Amino acid sequence: MSYTNYSRKKDTIALIDCNSFYVSCERLFNPKIINKPVVVLSNNDGCVISRSTEAKKIGIKMGEPYFKVKDLVRKNKVHIFSSNYALYGDISRRVMKILKEFSDKMEVYSIDEAFISLSFIEDQRLDEYGKEIRERILKWTGIPTSIGIANTKTLSKVANHIAKKKKTGVKVLNNDAIIDEELKRFHISNVWGVGKQLSKLYIKNDIDTAYKLKNISNTWVKKSTNVLGAKTVMELRGIPCVSLETLETKRKSCCVSRSFGKKVESMDKLKESVTTHCLSAAEKIRGDDQVTKSVTVFIRTSPFDRHKEYYSNSKTIDLPIATNNSIELISAAIEGLKAIYKYGYFYQKSGVTLSQLTDAKKEEFNLLAPLLETKSKSLMQAIDQTNIKYGRNSISIAQAGTGNSWKMKREHFSKIDTASFNHLPMLKI
Amino acid sequence: MIGVIKEQNKNIMKLTIPFYLHKAGAGFPSPATDYIEDDLDLNTHLINNAPATFIIRVQGKSMRDVGIYDGDLLIVDKSINPKSFSTVIANVNEELVVKTFIKEKEISYLTSGSKNINDKINLDEDQEVVIWGVVTYVIHKLQ
Repeated sequence: MSYTNYSRKKDTIALIDCNSFYVSCERLFNPKIINKPVVVLSNNDGCVISRSTEAKKIGIKMGEPYFKVKDLVRKNKVHIFSSNYALYGDISRRVMKILKEFSDKMEVYSIDEAFISLSFIEDQRLDEYGKEIRERILKWTGIPTSIGIANTKTLSKVANHIAKKKKTGVKVLNNDAIIDEELKRFHISNVWGVGKQLSKLYIKNDIDTAYKLKNISNTWVKKSTNVLGAKTVMELRGIPCVSLETLETKRKSCCVSRSFGKKVESMDKLKESVTTHCLSAAEKIRGDDQVTKSVTVFIRTSPFDRHKEYYSNSKTIDLPIATNNSIELISAAIEGLKAIYKYGYFYQKSGVTLSQLTDAKKEEFNLLAPLLETKSKSLMQAIDQTNIKYGRNSISIAQAGTGNSWKMKREHFSKIDTASFNHLPMLKI
Repeated sequence: MIGVIKEQNKNIMKLTIPFYLHKAGAGFPSPATDYIEDDLDLNTHLINNAPATFIIRVQGKSMRDVGIYDGDLLIVDKSINPKSFSTVIANVNEELVVKTFIKEKEISYLTSGSKNINDKINLDEDQEVVIWGVVTYVIHKLQ
């Protein structure tokens, strides 16, 4: 059986993925850790979230809790870093800015990944163009990348996997025979969009490679999986089903929470943390041009502390008018916090969820909305733009506090922020 | 605390009232109005290629001869290639250092700007040495 892409003009999509991104950022101003095993830990120094090639070889697994790999780290002199999101964010923005110059159709998929459309480039020039992108990002930012180029997003992900193992870092997959050859070697669990559950189902039915999935019958896929499953199959056949924009389906809710580095007892400290969570959640939904109708605040103590009673509670405040204004959201969240706060407990975690998110543009013009609406809207824009330009939390709301003693544990923090004059990289001469 | 937020709301109102540079009405409008809002922006002068430009603070006195002093800020552009006598950041022996790049005929090397000849690092012999970026400006505080 063969599937051909009918008369339509072919799309070309490149997936650019930064190699061991957080590690690469740490290496930028620290040449001592180039070619050495390096690991970056998640918030509160919890788990391994980025590994250098050398660290992978030693056997350190992605997502493993730090305490479990401490022995390996000591024996192999692995360099450990707490995550430095200010630095990673700035470097990421630089990479994305450079990418934008190569194509005006772009989807930033995550902090270290982006899809761009290369449909305007002739097929025989794709490899060269990919290499040019890769070299420029490397020279301008110091960040190595891998680039996969193909006719659909799913195939560009496959190409990217292959590119990671190539010295040139670029793989173009647009020849049917070569695609099939590669798909035969590509394990089903590595296919984009095939999660653990789906992977199990496929393997149970003897579909263990991407090639087998590509050639499965349409009826079987539709019967056994969902729409997304069917889309993946089509995409493997080179028929684009996940376009650059539409995959960015906007979220229905947005949650920001954090465990405290040191347990927190006082209402003031909790207020600070809740305010900060509100600020980042509000910034996120504003970034997607969304508004919320309900704010949930939650706090809890450690469930593992056997000496103290466990306490966990949450409170949802519904808003009269859907909004994404930080100030309104914070006052609602604080109101909720006051309702659930109990004195005498040592809190381990707090969080804020904004739910019932809708498109800000779709919200009908509210006659009741006072003049303030537009006024503070422009304030919010000014805050976001300043924070984008000068780094997170340049401008904040006074209640978010400045001391932040509840802040997370960062014992191996590199302290560099390329977007803040107070933490610029320092060079001894 | 909610009181504080409300207080801030008041300030926002104050802040966002539009500000006109000249009065509307009769008379010849100031010809300077069009120019008043264009503040000098040092970014446009000092930074040619933003995504490739990093600002690095230096500590130490070894580069006084080229005009770099303790505590100065260096504007470093990673996208450009050094010319002869460019001040560069280089990775030498696993350390980032500030050096002067010199190209004489076919040979290129790095020096500290001092008169000491032994101070040369030959770039063609030592493949480990990598130019990290080119220093385009130094910001030096006088008082």
